Amino acid sequence: MQLKEIPITGIPYDQLYIEKIPATPEYCRRPAELLPAGNRSVAVNPNRTCMPLGAMWAVLGVHGAIPFVQGAQGCTTYVRYTFCRVFKEPATIATASFHEDAAVFGGRRNLIEGIRNLVVRYWPELIGVVTTCSSEIIGDDMVSFLKMARANLRKEIGPEKADRIPIVLVNTPSFAGSHVDGYDRASRAFVETLATARDKPSGKVNIIPGLLYPGDIREIKHLLRHMDIEGIVLFDISDPLDAPLQPPVSLPYKPPGGTPLEDIRDMANSLATFALQPHAGQAGARYLERKFGVRAVVGPPPIGIQGTDAFLKTLRELTGKPIPESLLQERGRLVDSLADTFHHTMMKKVAIMGDPDVVLGVTSFILEMGMEPVALAGGTASKTFDHDVEAILAEAGYAGDPPLVVNGGDLLEFEEYLKQLPRLDLVIGNSRAVDIAKELQVPLVRVGFPIYDRFGYQKRAIVGYRGGEVLLAEIVNSILGYQYPDDRTHQL
Amino acid sequence: MELSVDMLPERRQHMQRVGLPACNRPTIPGVVSQRACVLYGARWMLAAIKDALHLIHGPVGCAYYSETVRKKRYEVFSTALDEKDIIFGAGAKLAAAIREGVRLRPAATAVFVYTTCAAGLIGEDVTAICRQAEANLGVPVVPVNCPGFCGVSQGDGHEAAVVALLEHFIGRGGDGPPLAKSVNILGEYDIQGDLKEIERLLQRLGVEVLCAVSGRATVAGLARAHRAGLNLVHCGRTGRRLALEMEERFGIPWRKVSFFGLAETAAALRTIADFFHCPEKAIWLEEEIESAREKASPYLERLAGKRVGLFFGASRMGSMARAFRELGMEVVFCGSQFGCREDYAESRSRLGRETLLVDDAHERELEEFLHRYRPHLLVGGSREQYMAHKLGVPFLVFPQETAPYAGFNGFVNLAREVATFIGAPVWRLAAGSPAPG
Repeated sequence: MQLKEIPITGIPYDQLYIEKIPATPEYCRRPAELLPAGNRSVAVNPNRTCMPLGAMWAVLGVHGAIPFVQGAQGCTTYVRYTFCRVFKEPATIATASFHEDAAVFGGRRNLIEGIRNLVVRYWPELIGVVTTCSSEIIGDDMVSFLKMARANLRKEIGPEKADRIPIVLVNTPSFAGSHVDGYDRASRAFVETLATARDKPSGKVNIIPGLLYPGDIREIKHLLRHMDIEGIVLFDISDPLDAPLQPPVSLPYKPPGGTPLEDIRDMANSLATFALQPHAGQAGARYLERKFGVRAVVGPPPIGIQGTDAFLKTLRELTGKPIPESLLQERGRLVDSLADTFHHTMMKKVAIMGDPDVVLGVTSFILEMGMEPVALAGGTASKTFDHDVEAILAEAGYAGDPPLVVNGGDLLEFEEYLKQLPRLDLVIGNSRAVDIAKELQVPLVRVGFPIYDRFGYQKRAIVGYRGGEVLLAEIVNSILGYQYPDDRTHQL
Repeated sequence: MELSVDMLPERRQHMQRVGLPACNRPTIPGVVSQRACVLYGARWMLAAIKDALHLIHGPVGCAYYSETVRKKRYEVFSTALDEKDIIFGAGAKLAAAIREGVRLRPAATAVFVYTTCAAGLIGEDVTAICRQAEANLGVPVVPVNCPGFCGVSQGDGHEAAVVALLEHFIGRGGDGPPLAKSVNILGEYDIQGDLKEIERLLQRLGVEVLCAVSGRATVAGLARAHRAGLNLVHCGRTGRRLALEMEERFGIPWRKVSFFGLAETAAALRTIADFFHCPEKAIWLEEEIESAREKASPYLERLAGKRVGLFFGASRMGSMARAFRELGMEVVFCGSQFGCREDYAESRSRLGRETLLVDDAHERELEEFLHRYRPHLLVGGSREQYMAHKLGVPFLVFPQETAPYAGFNGFVNLAREVATFIGAPVWRLAAGSPAPG
């Protein structure tokens, strides 16, 4: 994209500092009454996708597990395509292959035969059955179909082998929520199906990370290790979706790692469950609290200083273990980075989009950097999002103009609002904000899911103090690159 | 050689060493299918018609995913059906969404309304709603009947798109004299500049490209597509049906051609030249071939005798198999997600006996083929790519990502990329990791 013409005359090029004003000249205003998503029937540029994706994500985070999607082939293919592009990893997800006959007669045959074919081809250690809009609208009686599938399997491969493969059913009618909700439902379905007894309290802590990347999960594990706490990460995608290339491999290719089945069974014995992303994982944490009295700690996401502080303090309080010097030093380094860069970040106007928990976490972090949020769009409709935003702003003592808050819906209102602002410095969000940032000619700092137009974002962390440093550096460098487009004119 | 791939019995007839594999059948449930749904096929065909408004009537996920086609993002509108709509019906919502969409995009020259599984199951009369909207708004509002489960693969979505194009767009521009020396290219998607290279060659013959369906198609372009002198069918699965219908309705003759590989491209140009009676083509054609061969020769030396496995969507199998043979490579297996009988017959004629042809291979089978045939390269889509990498097999993504592969220059690009991909240092590093201990 070419820079807009420089509006300042009489300033030598080497002293140039560009104050850019967004909105392209050919921009024409959209009908105002059509902007809020609530006023429209049509959705443009949705900020979320459908439930089954979240459930498939979750299943891929369990050791040796394969998702089985009770729907048409596209429900699987589109998600595999998305995972492949985001994680650069194979995504083994089986499909029930609904064709017209399934729409007429239901998906019973597809499920029974499909489970059998999946087992004899892959011998998975667990199957996560994920429903879709079609199977839910047709009204497939999944529970009894699964009983039949199990009976059929026992007949074909023998009861001993058949019963060794647990099947977890996750109901995800696509139209009833987003991928975030799908993950949330999976968290509950897995603990409800597998963690059935509290017999031997273990003193471990459960972590349900939500839709965080492999790099983030590694960072969480790093924090636990330094706190000397044993944790169970439910849906640990860090190895399966960021696997090493080490040929030769034996067939079929099975991704390494993932949460072991025994660990999930043991979750009822833990001290507490952290749902790091309240919208994605809270259901599982609450279930364990209600059923077994395992304390649920819901949010905040450990992003930025206060977010990470809160996580570590709760861990200390629960286990009685101190926060070690090593982590305090990590914190100190992040604080030092903030001190070294706040000149560049203070009062900069930022718009943030993505899944609600990512938006909330990042908002709290950018407030620590002295930046000003002008618009916040959380793609998944949430009962708490508006209130959470207010709480974060109040806690930070934010006194600027209140930001536009979009709760659910799509990105049309967000985009149009940004185009009318007198000033905007930065957009933070996933790859779906590319068009908006390009049109407004402001930099985009990529955070959250999905990121499919750059490499390596899934491998690095934004959580924890060290993740904060990575994100801080990217934000600062984006601002520098924006204000001083010619690298020869500016040094730090 | 005996097929020893450990397979499901119902899959046996889909793999053939001598005859043609069974095809165009539903995928068996429970496998990791490489196929996609009918909506995917319809989007593949129609997404590039940029001056139209595209509205997906279904849950938001279907719109979210179908924004991306051939790794490009297109704006998509949707009705974002929720629970309420599923229970109480979504007809009024669809009508309102079309109206609002047109208000938000006043420049739209037509509206495509795609149906999805959910829309198909709740059973709205989408055609009637579209007709009503068209009458109210004065813009063509075209239903594309493509619920995901309504067919065996994305191929049926291509068909649904073809039906929509034929019924509502092609030939709507009124009668006019046939445009001299002009062609439509049916089933050409202009990937990474393929079309530009094809056009360059056609221009040397003095032939103009009227419409490329749908790499470069506009509503206005489609309206006068029936005035072309000749239809070129590039991708058979999408193009053939369109060509047959246009022949019947408008009397436009058609030829199946391919612009992949030197021999195919040359044959295509000769066919077109003969049709339009273009003189003096022989000299420059030979020069182009010679020059391409010369530029490709350093790569061809490195590729001689190397094995390649091919797995395409459908119709590119035959012509690409021939192109890879021109590279000096041995095709050890060749397959597609949803090829039809004609596609497999073409491939068989290009490959001869003994090469394994496979239909609708799923991930596990491809893995086994890689293990068994040890190709130096696998060619396929991005869903196969990362599996191949994990097994240490270099991969070439198709549709390609970096440069045109069509025409004579495209062949040189193909040779260069295949040679460099196979020889990339990473494969040496991956194989040579120090033993632990």
